[in-house]
Parts: sequence; C-alpha cells; structure tokens
Amino acid sequence: MTTLNAPEATAVEGMDALPDFTTDAYKDAYSRINAIVIEGEIEAHDNYISLGTLIPEHKDELAKLARMEMKHAKGFTSCGRNLGVQADMPFAKDFFGPLHGNFQTALEEGKVVTCLLIQALLIEAFAISAYHIYIPVSDPFARKITEGVVKDEYLHLNYGQEWLKANFEASKEELFQANKANLPLIRSMLEQVASDAAVLHMEKEDLIEDFLIAYQEALDEIGFTSREKARMAAAALAG
Amino acid sequence: MFGLIGHSKSFDAARRNALELGFDHIADGDLDVWCSAPPQLVEHVEITSPAGPTIKGAYIDSCFVPEMLGRFKTARRKVLNAMELAQKKGINLTALGGFTSIIFENFNLLQHQTIRSTTLEWERFTTGNTHTAWVIARQVENNAPALGIDLKTAKVAVVGATGDIGSAVCRWLSMRTGVGELLLVARRQQPLLDLQTELGGGRILSLEEALPEADVVVWVASMPKTLEIEPSSLRQPCLMIDGGYPKNLDTKVAGNGIHVLKGGIVEFCRDIGWTMMQLAEMEKPQRQMFACFAEAMLLEFERCHTNFSWGRNNITLEKMDFIGAASVRHGFSTLNISPSLQISVA
Repeated sequence: MTTLNAPEATAVEGMDALPDFTTDAYKDAYSRINAIVIEGEIEAHDNYISLGTLIPEHKDELAKLARMEMKHAKGFTSCGRNLGVQADMPFAKDFFGPLHGNFQTALEEGKVVTCLLIQALLIEAFAISAYHIYIPVSDPFARKITEGVVKDEYLHLNYGQEWLKANFEASKEELFQANKANLPLIRSMLEQVASDAAVLHMEKEDLIEDFLIAYQEALDEIGFTSREKARMAAAALAG
Repeated sequence: MFGLIGHSKSFDAARRNALELGFDHIADGDLDVWCSAPPQLVEHVEITSPAGPTIKGAYIDSCFVPEMLGRFKTARRKVLNAMELAQKKGINLTALGGFTSIIFENFNLLQHQTIRSTTLEWERFTTGNTHTAWVIARQVENNAPALGIDLKTAKVAVVGATGDIGSAVCRWLSMRTGVGELLLVARRQQPLLDLQTELGGGRILSLEEALPEADVVVWVASMPKTLEIEPSSLRQPCLMIDGGYPKNLDTKVAGNGIHVLKGGIVEFCRDIGWTMMQLAEMEKPQRQMFACFAEAMLLEFERCHTNFSWGRNNITLEKMDFIGAASVRHGFSTLNISPSLQISVA
C-alpha cells in the first residue's frame, strides 16, 4: 500500500556479502558442516537401500536414489578438499545419532511410513533447505556441486511424497506419531549447527523457515489440511 | 484465481488471529518463532460480481508482523516466501497488502527474483496502488462537498506526494478534479520539484506549513510516531483522508470540525463469506477491504492478468479510469463519512 519510514535498500545490501573462505574460523566451521552433509548423504544411501527391503516392488528405484546419494557424498567430499578442510566425521556421526537410531528401530519393526517420514521427508526437506541457503553464500566450486545436488534431492522428496500420498489414509496416524517423535530432533539438530552455519553466513531463522516450507509443501502434497500441517510443523517451531 | 497477501496489524493481533484460526501452536510462540514461521494459505473465498462473473481467491498470511520491520532479512524473506507460495498455488494475480508492497519497494526486492527453485513471475503480482489512489481521489471528491468544502477553491495537501499513491492522487486531483490549490508535502526535495514540474503547479511546503492552510489533507505517508498535531491550528471544517498504513490518524486528531476518514477502503455490495477482514479490524468485515486487495479481484473479474500496478510512479490517469470503472461495475463503493454526519453538517 503506502509508505514506510524504513531503512533505504542501499544501507542493507551489504548483509548478503560472501564470507571469507580462507579464514581459520570459516574452515573450522566448515569441517563440521561439511561432515554433516557428507554423513547425511551416506546415511541417505544406506536408508534408501534399507527401504528397498520394506518396499521390495520399488527396490530398483530406491537403489537408484541410493546411488545418487553416494554420488552427492563424493561431491561434497571434494568441496571440503577444495578448501583444504578435513571433515569432522565423528562429530557428524554423533549429530545424526538420534535420528539414525529412530530410523533403525522403525526399520526393525517394519514401519515403512516412519522410515519414509524420517528419510524421504524430514532429511530431504532439511537438506533441500540447507542447500538452498548455502548456495548464495558458497564458494564457486561448492556452488556448482550443490546446485546439481539440490535438483536430485527434490526427486527424493518426491518419491516419499508420492508413496505416502498413495497410501495416505492408512499412513496418517503413523505419520502424526512419527512427526511428533522425529521433528523435534530436526529442531535440535538445527540448533546444534546454528553457530557453525552462521560463520558460513547461513542464518538459523532462514534455515528453520525454509525447512518448514519444504516440509509443509510435502505434507500438503501428501494430503494434509492447512491446520494439520501447521500443527505438525509446530513441533519444530516450539523450542 | 486471485490472491491476497496480508499480515496482522501487530504481533499481539497475530497471536490472537492464529488462535481464532486454529493455529494454536504457532499462537503460543514468541517473536523468534514467528520470524521462522512459513507463510500460510489460510482461506479460500468465492465472490460474485453484480455484473455476472464469479471468481475464486485465496488469502495468504505472510506471518510477517510490523514488529519485524527492524529485521531487514526477516521482512524480506516473509514477503518473498509469501509471493512464492502464491505463485506455486497457481494464483493468476496476487495483491501485496499492508506492508508487503512497501517492503518490496523499499528493500528493492526486484533483484531477488529466484526463491529456492522458483523464479517469481512479476506479472502475477500487483501492489494494488492504482485502485487505492483512485479510491482516495474519489473519497476526496465525494466527501469534501458533504462537509461544505468547495474543491474548486479548496487547498488540498497531499502528505507523501511523491510516493506511488501520492503522486497518482496529485495527478488526478490536479487534472481531473481541478482543486483550488495542491499543497505538496514529502521528505525529499528533488522528487517534489519533479512532481511540481509534471503537474505544472502545486506549492511545495513543509508539513507544519501545509496543515494550517489545508481544507483537505490526504495522508499517504506513515505518520511519524512523535508527530503532534494541534487541532486548533487546523482549518474547520477539515477533511483528513487517512491513506497511510497502519491507519492511526483518528487517534491523533478528530472532532471539532476535523473529520478523519479511513482512506483507500472499499465496500463490496454484498457479504463475502470470509474471516480475513475481521482480522484487519474493518468496521464491516464481511464487505469492507483494502482497495489494493480489491484491485486483485477486479483484475480477475476483468481477466486482466498482468502486474497492473508495479514499480514507482507508473500510475497514469488512464489506468485509474480503467480500474475505477471496473470498481463501479463490479459492485465496489468507496468508504464515505457517515450519512448522519453529512446531514448534521448540512
């Protein structure tokens, strides 16, 4: 509508500036972020292979998704190498520990809906949002690789979405439960990574909102109503 | 389908609204939670024009609240994410309401066309400013005579004269209405001089100089919080059109021959089954709305799918004619001062 006594655009443009990729502080933060990304891709590979045992009719498709994830892991390893950074893999293993544990439990119990929610919705939405926010502040080498990866991740989100959509009514209750149990983990993972992400010029607020947008879009596609989506997403917002 | 992007008037109002809409969990959150809350498509509406066609629309709450204005990146993200949602929902034309278009303009968001994997198509959005400017100009024309003010001799001050809406109102009042004298008030000198040249007239004054001279004051700038207006220094009668956002002029001055009218508000000819304008605290929430929202409806009624109001100072008299005629044809009327007041003045 009308006007606003607001700061002029020129005064705030500088906030989008790229970080200095060569500082020790950047490399230190990158060693953990890079490890999380690599570990995330490796776990995704393993999870899709495991999902193939629960959905044998999609075994080949899931194996294809798994291969893509392994390719991503290699791409991100080269991003670290390019900056002269050694990824802190033990940190990343711990980081994914609780979510990994929940996936394994669901797998043992044959809970395909929970497994899909964890891997194909939560982890993929988390990855997509983080990659989107990383791209504008990344170094040119990593940028090219991440842009390629993000296109693939949409396919993976789409796989889980389509399966759950086709089995919506039968999956609904389990999705509510699985969301309640696992979304808070994503929230604490975001909290844990926030200070390192900030060094890379990725802000927590952006990460959370973009994650919720990707996640809600998926829930919307699956068939949840606005209120159901908001209620489910609230588990991530309430700190 | 048309779309409206709006937001709550304040953080407190946003929490109340969320509760009413059943978004309880977000309602409990603090401002940081709201800063990370994604936009929500909260309501679908259907509207039938007295001229025939029925159109469908959707209301998107950007989850922005004015308390976020100091957080540039948050405000920017709220606006862009809401626009992305509108586009992804396949909405042909979406009006940017409240602070949305102001943030878009002031923070120069044209350079942020790519949101994640979506390239925003600007032709799907309108600021709604053309209709707002036309409505404000008509509110001057309709209400000044009702208060006994003869526009042919009246001095009309436009505060925020160089803005998108302000300059359009000046153009209309000077070339169509023919007012006695235009008093041009704005912060920056050069745009004022340019406007004066374009209009071929009008007197440039400071706010303090203009107010005591004006029979009609059109406010299309946000009011500085510290601004004090001494009612006794104003002319009586004086018509004040509050076209700014938020509309708070009536808390500063009103009464004793000073008549404050909410500017840029229209009323539809029949009830609309929606809850959104209740949240915007309209007097008649089932019929009244911001003119900028109505512009999206009008463009959908007219099947005119283009960014009709876009950028700054592109509002021509021809565009105002077009949207004004559509406004009348499809059953909208401008908000006027109450009939009882008109009778008592007469």
